[in-house]
Amino acid sequence: MRNDTRLIGARNGRAVLLLATLLLFLLAACGGADTGGDKPVTLILAGYTTPREAYREIIPLFQAHWKEQTGQEVVFEESYLASGAQSRAVLEGFEADIVALSLEADVTRLVDAGLITHDWKSVGGDGMVSDSVVVFGVRSGNPLGITDWHDLARPGVEVLTPNPKTSGGAMWNILALYGAARRGFVDGVPANDEAAAAAFLRDVLKNVSVMDKGARESITNYEQGVGDVIITYENEILVGQQAGHDYEMVIPRSSILIENPVAVVDSYVDKHGSREVAEAFVQFLFSKEAQEVFARHGLRAVNDEVAAATATQYPPLADLFTIDYFGGWREATPTIFGDNGIYTTVFANLNVPTP
Amino acid sequence: MATITTVVRGRPSTRSSVWRRRLLIGVVALYVGLLIVAPLVALVRGAFLEGAAAMWQVINQPGVWRAFWQTLQIGVVVVVVHTVFGTAVAWVFVRDDFRGKWLLNAIMDLPFAVSPVVVGYMLILIFGRRGLLAPLLAAWDIQVVFALPGMVLATLFVTMPFMVRVLVPVLEAFDVRQEQAAATLGAGGWFTFRRVTFPALRWGFVYGITLTFARALGEFGAVLVVGGGIQGRTETVPIYIFRALDERMYTGAYSAALLLGLFSILLILGTDWLRRRRQE
Repeated sequence: MRNDTRLIGARNGRAVLLLATLLLFLLAACGGADTGGDKPVTLILAGYTTPREAYREIIPLFQAHWKEQTGQEVVFEESYLASGAQSRAVLEGFEADIVALSLEADVTRLVDAGLITHDWKSVGGDGMVSDSVVVFGVRSGNPLGITDWHDLARPGVEVLTPNPKTSGGAMWNILALYGAARRGFVDGVPANDEAAAAAFLRDVLKNVSVMDKGARESITNYEQGVGDVIITYENEILVGQQAGHDYEMVIPRSSILIENPVAVVDSYVDKHGSREVAEAFVQFLFSKEAQEVFARHGLRAVNDEVAAATATQYPPLADLFTIDYFGGWREATPTIFGDNGIYTTVFANLNVPTP
Repeated sequence: MATITTVVRGRPSTRSSVWRRRLLIGVVALYVGLLIVAPLVALVRGAFLEGAAAMWQVINQPGVWRAFWQTLQIGVVVVVVHTVFGTAVAWVFVRDDFRGKWLLNAIMDLPFAVSPVVVGYMLILIFGRRGLLAPLLAAWDIQVVFALPGMVLATLFVTMPFMVRVLVPVLEAFDVRQEQAAATLGAGGWFTFRRVTFPALRWGFVYGITLTFARALGEFGAVLVVGGGIQGRTETVPIYIFRALDERMYTGAYSAALLLGLFSILLILGTDWLRRRRQE
């Protein structure tokens, strides 16, 4: 009897062993698949969410271009997160060869950390691969009659804009809003009156009902029917309309020019041995071919020829200012979004009842 | 068990008690229906909105399969680790006494209380480029964060309590005298565990494994933060679903969600079927 049970036990043991071996094989199969002879080169792209659709078209173009030039295949691994989150991930060890982010400050962080050592702002003009403008989205037919910034402060207007603490896009939105007010392009706010501009910022923020993590989440929320007006990028509206949504775009008289940086991450390309192809990819992004793709996906081209050809789709604004109005990101980030920044202060005091 | 059934069935069925029972059953059905069945129906409808062919087309892409494969890998590793160490922990909790046991016991439940996103970030603070172990990892060229090991660690953390919390009561209910009897009959320690203790714990194991696996399949926040959501590399199914929604690829999102959901349902139904077959 006892021998019997031992026998069964032994058989069970063998079965377990067999299962474990099978499992190990299964797990190893994945790693094993990579060990080919002639390896294609891999590029890791860390992007912000907005230009994702454009990159999906540009990448095959570049793959064909590189294959034609060198005979080598390029495999892309892409990650798209909110710009700030992506920048922090790269900082913490996400070994992306190329970063394509929403704003310069997120690249500067990598420069300060010593991950980017070359003069990335000398590539392709000024390192900025695409432009856009902060605009509004309104419901079909513009039922609330939104025409410019001052309408967003009207009582009862529900505004969506993402959270500037997590989203680069939201920082642009706040800067556009505050900048337009300070420059005298908001009715009732005198030019160069910082206190009045801050008060206007407060009035609009009071109307904000949802602050999403990122720009794309914000607009998909708007598409689900939340809010009356969304402050967002021009390209978000255009891409949404291309996807069949019927909201409309209102371009304010005054807004900020959004400039999106792209850069090769020196530390990681050197580690991966992919510098040559990574630099070629960044160069390619400035080519007419790639710029046309950006323009098709709602982004303003930085290539003069393409910009001229698409000028009707992207009308000029009466007052278009850049981040330089705030002294560049190095100054704007602390003075507007720092612990004692204008936005931070206004936002912190929003819920405090006035005595 | 049998007595309870008799008592309930034998209760005098006055008119009001019949209605009370019906009302209660109705409330329960509504509760389950609203919270679980309705979202499921909506999901199925969303997935099939563009037809089964479109569904297959969006699912049948290397990136999506890779996400499924990755999710499965993480699930299997996590289940194996927790089965081994969870058993050990449960064993120690029930059979041994030592100073600080209460603390260990409390810590065990921490993963229930900590937000998964925080878990991901904690791992980055340890294994990241500027993390505590950075010099060590750099020297050995080991990539933990933004790679599979980090994702496995995050899922291990999140699923930690399930196995232990399921096994502890079963082990407590288990009569130690059975083991003593086996010992008097001349069985060794390992033999006793395998032939006496383990069979008694079997259903605890099955239930613990099911819970652990299901939770591992569904983990999102921790894995996204620690993995970076790199398409074709550190993307699990929940992350793919999130991205597909973001990219307005609704059919892809719904289909993947349906497939993942189906898998979990099969897992649970399978466990249930096994248990019922066993009882007969």
